[in-house]
Order: sequence, then C-alpha cells, then structure tokens
Amino acid sequence: MKTNLTPIISSLTRQRGVRGSLLVDETDGVIIVATLHVGMKGPAFAALAASLYRKARLSADAAGLGGVTFLRLRATEGHMCAAGKNEMVLVVVADARANIGLIRMEMLKALERLVI
Amino acid sequence: MADEIRRLSEELARDPASPVYLQLGEALRRGGQLDLALKVALRGLERHPHDADSHDLLARIAVDRGELERAFDEWDMVRRIAPAHLGARKGMGYVLFKQGKFAEAQTYLSEASALDGEDETVATALAMVRVKLREAGSPGDPGSRGDQGERTQPVSSLDTLDDLDHLGLFDEITEGGEHTALLLDATGLVMAGTYVTQDGRDVAQEVGAELSGVSDEARRAMRHLGLGDWSSLTVETDAAVVAMAPMRDDALVLIAASKAMPLGLVHRVLDRCVERASGWLTKGGG
Repeated sequence: MKTNLTPIISSLTRQRGVRGSLLVDETDGVIIVATLHVGMKGPAFAALAASLYRKARLSADAAGLGGVTFLRLRATEGHMCAAGKNEMVLVVVADARANIGLIRMEMLKALERLVI
Repeated sequence: MADEIRRLSEELARDPASPVYLQLGEALRRGGQLDLALKVALRGLERHPHDADSHDLLARIAVDRGELERAFDEWDMVRRIAPAHLGARKGMGYVLFKQGKFAEAQTYLSEASALDGEDETVATALAMVRVKLREAGSPGDPGSRGDQGERTQPVSSLDTLDDLDHLGLFDEITEGGEHTALLLDATGLVMAGTYVTQDGRDVAQEVGAELSGVSDEARRAMRHLGLGDWSSLTVETDAAVVAMAPMRDDALVLIAASKAMPLGLVHRVLDRCVERASGWLTKGGG
C-alpha cells in the first residue's frame, strides 16, 4: 500500500549501499511502512530493530542521558541504523560500503519530515 | 522527557512558589538544556534561598556547564545548610577529583562514607581516588577524616591495589577526556571500569542491568539480515554518545562520551578499550 510516508522512506532506500528502509512501531515492532530489497525478512527484522532501539532507549534513560537521537549497529558485512520519534523508529539497513555519515544525515532529515 | 518538562513548566506557572522547580530544573539539566535549567534554578533559589536542594541543583548544573569552582561553592553552601547532606560531600569530592586534588577529594568522600557506609557509589569513588593517590605515590592519609581528625570507615574490601585493578582498567585511555568506560558480563553485571556521572553518581549497575541481553538482540538482528557478526553499537542521546562492542563469552565493553566528541574518535576510543579489556580477560581478570 502506498502512503504519504512512502516517498520519504523510498528516498532513503535510494542512497548508495542501502538495502532497505522501514518505519516501525517501537512498542510492538510492527512495520508501518517499508521499502525493502528482495530477500529481506521485513517483519522479523522490524521486531528485532524496534526491540534493540527500545533497549538502548531504556539504557540511556537509566544513565540519565536523555532521549536517543540515533543508533548505529555495525557488523562485519553491513550496518543497521535507527532513529526514533513519537514511539516510531526509522530503520535503515545498509551494506559495508555505505556512507553512514550521509545516511545518518538523511535519516535525521527524514525523521523531521515524518508526520503521522 | 519533553512532555514531562511541559507538565512541570505548567505546574510551576500555576504556582510559582511550588518546589516543582527542582524537578523541572533537573529534567532540563538531564535533557542538556543547561541555560534554561540554570534560569529555573536561580529563580527557585530567589524564592527558597535557604533550601539545600536548590543549591544542590545549581551545583549539578554548574558541573554540567564546566563551572567546577561554582559547583564546589554551591555544594559547600549545601553542606552548611544541611550538615548531613550526602550528595554535597560526593559532589565536592567529585569536583576535587576532576581538579586532580585527590587527597582533598578523599577527605570529602571519606566524610560521605561516614554518613552512609553502605553507599556503593561512595565506595567506588573512594577506591578511584585511592588508586590515583597510589599512582601519584602519595599516602593520601587513608584512614583519617582530614579536617575533623576522626576515623573514617575503612573500605576493607577495596584496600589493595589488586582489588582496585578492575576499577581503573580503562583509566589510562579515558583519563583527561570527557568519557567513561565499563566492561559488562553477559548478564549485565559490571566486571571492570566505572560509570560516574558528572554529579558524582555511579550509574554503572543501572546501565549494566539495562544493557544485559543487548548482545543477543544485536546478534539476532544481524543474523536475520545476513550481515555477519556485530562489531559495535553506537547510541547518540540528547546528552552523550554511548558506544559498545562485544567481547568473548558475550561480555560487552561500553563507553560514554561527551556529545561534542566526534563519532570517529568515539570509535577509536572504543577500539582501545576493547583491546585493553581483551588483554585483561586473557590474563584472568574478572
């Protein structure tokens, strides 16, 4: 289903090295909107990404560090980035060659534009 | 947090004499809005000039603003108003520690220990100070309360350098920088390092408890995506950057750095902490 959120998510997926972008409900880990490359297990990944983001948010809160603005998980063959707003999490999966600095900037801009 | 600040602001607007300014000032401070926090604290202090908590709040804001002298003076005022105020001793000890005045820091922390011998944050801070004193080759007068000449409660389990080794594991890397480091085991328990906030609170156990299982979450997420093993997780927050990396046996190294620290440098520091922790674990640490 196309929504007014789709263009924002799709613009992220067009970045070099990005395999997919998702907007996920942080509480239940359900996908709100996503554009994924073929073969990506969207629902399972959305749930795990939301859970990881939530755990990081609780940890930051426990440490008195305030709200989480950006999260990046680096692996041997790629990256997962997440940024949250209003109990939603914007998630991007990218391969190891991706320019994470640029993706981070685009994600934070996209988050500003997201209105539900 | 924004909702909480809005709610507290409205409550204060309805009743300017309400002590809710303390909560509002603290919420703003934790959110990094230091100028606003200072404004709220000063207005509160105008109405409640003899309230120890008002001066305590002002001291914590001053620390966050890098105004250590002012923080010390405010905590000194707290101590005069409320002689049994634990936070004032801890705060003064923290300021003196940051200024490299370890012997004086020990005096105030010993006083804090005398006030509450079961406070783990005081025990940890005292242990750190004693490590520094031993490194500096100073006896540090361990066992006296300095200006009052009374005996302090000994922290016997932390009295040997070997026992303290785990606390100072990352000192060489984090010294002088606005960052702190921890080594956690798979269950989130602290194995080495300390995590002391700018107002002198040791939040290592809280952070450890919250982070337990993060390794599993990260590994599972990466497996579903076919991205291989995870090598680091970086979390940017309103007030700081937290970065962590996996170790053997699902242990975790974690650093927290100032938000002003470039992300690339945060990762370099993390890599060095991982190296240090690996060596320590290999030698049988923990």
